Amino acid sequence: MREPVITPSTIADPKTKYGNAKSSTRHFFTQRLTGAINILFTAFLIYIVISIAGEGREGVVSLLGNPVIGIVFAILFAIVCVHMRIGMREIIEDYVHEQRTNRLSLSLNSFFAIAVGVVGVLSVLKLVFWG
Amino acid sequence: MVELRLPKNSRPTAGKTWPKPKDTSKLREFQIYRYDPDSGDNPRIDTYFVDTGDCGPMILDALLWIKNKVDPTLTLRRSCREGICGSCSMNINGLNTLACTHGMDESTGTIKVYPLPHMPVVKDLVPDLTNFYAQHRAIEPWLKTTSPTPDTEWKQSIEDRAKLDGLYECILCACCSTSCPSYWWNGEKYLGPAALLQAYRWLIDSRDETQDERLGDLEDPFKLYRCHTIMNCAKVCPKGLNPAKAIAEIKKMMVERRAA
Repeated sequence: MREPVITPSTIADPKTKYGNAKSSTRHFFTQRLTGAINILFTAFLIYIVISIAGEGREGVVSLLGNPVIGIVFAILFAIVCVHMRIGMREIIEDYVHEQRTNRLSLSLNSFFAIAVGVVGVLSVLKLVFWG
Repeated sequence: MVELRLPKNSRPTAGKTWPKPKDTSKLREFQIYRYDPDSGDNPRIDTYFVDTGDCGPMILDALLWIKNKVDPTLTLRRSCREGICGSCSMNINGLNTLACTHGMDESTGTIKVYPLPHMPVVKDLVPDLTNFYAQHRAIEPWLKTTSPTPDTEWKQSIEDRAKLDGLYECILCACCSTSCPSYWWNGEKYLGPAALLQAYRWLIDSRDETQDERLGDLEDPFKLYRCHTIMNCAKVCPKGLNPAKAIAEIKKMMVERRAA
């Protein structure tokens, strides 16, 4: 598919759209919301790292295996991945202009964020339920 | 991919050094970007020496002194010479500003003068602002109403009028938009700080009755959301306005509109 040519009259038309309008506001809001939650996550992560400093695997399992800590950690980890996906999407939209490369990059970004999120969350859940 | 370097035929080369004026000790060196598309040559940086005892104190005075007394081919836009028309916006010592309100005494050493960054150059210090004006047209900078037109004027309270302060004063010099890295990378799709400042000016005008339609037109990942709050726009605005704050307010209105 050929990329549409942008002319001064395209730019001057108030109805011109260059992407999905609805999702643009949703992405904006979600990025701010997850960013704010990530501040809590960082504090939580620092607490966990300090708590398990010097511990062996058993110590890590006993802390993250706690259902409350483990499930909160898994949720916050998923939120980090959502934030990462939107943040990388912004960078790709900023700098990768060629349509085909842009779409491929966006797809790979989504795949990477989902894969990291799934692996991370499942790993934590494994520690919670199976030790 | 975005181009991080200028194309080969746009990279400036060393230019001509013009002779120093005689019988004066008040000299100031200027390095000025020169480009003539008709010549087919790369842009070049010419060096001039201005007799500051023989011209006014502003950069524009010096540029006009060069044009009148040294090199009449130097091309620049100017009109009001007092910060009202926005014609003489250019990049002076790395800062986008108006040549008419920027004094030579605001910096020491050589003064480097370039056209506004990341815009096509028509000639020398004159950028092509076609897209910039099209972006201003896109936000429909006029009063839009659905009510019947009143017999007299559209009235507005003193408080509502005060909301437009800090917005209506924009002179469309393009200093803000051309200082914005997001505008550099996506200058065709992103409306830029100047147009969005004006968009907000009309969004909060109590007399305008098309706020929802205006927000709907602006809602787009590129037209609005390319702003990453870099704040160069607020830093360089020669009128002291804050387009970044206006853009943040528009984003807030977008979220509230979606939540409603």
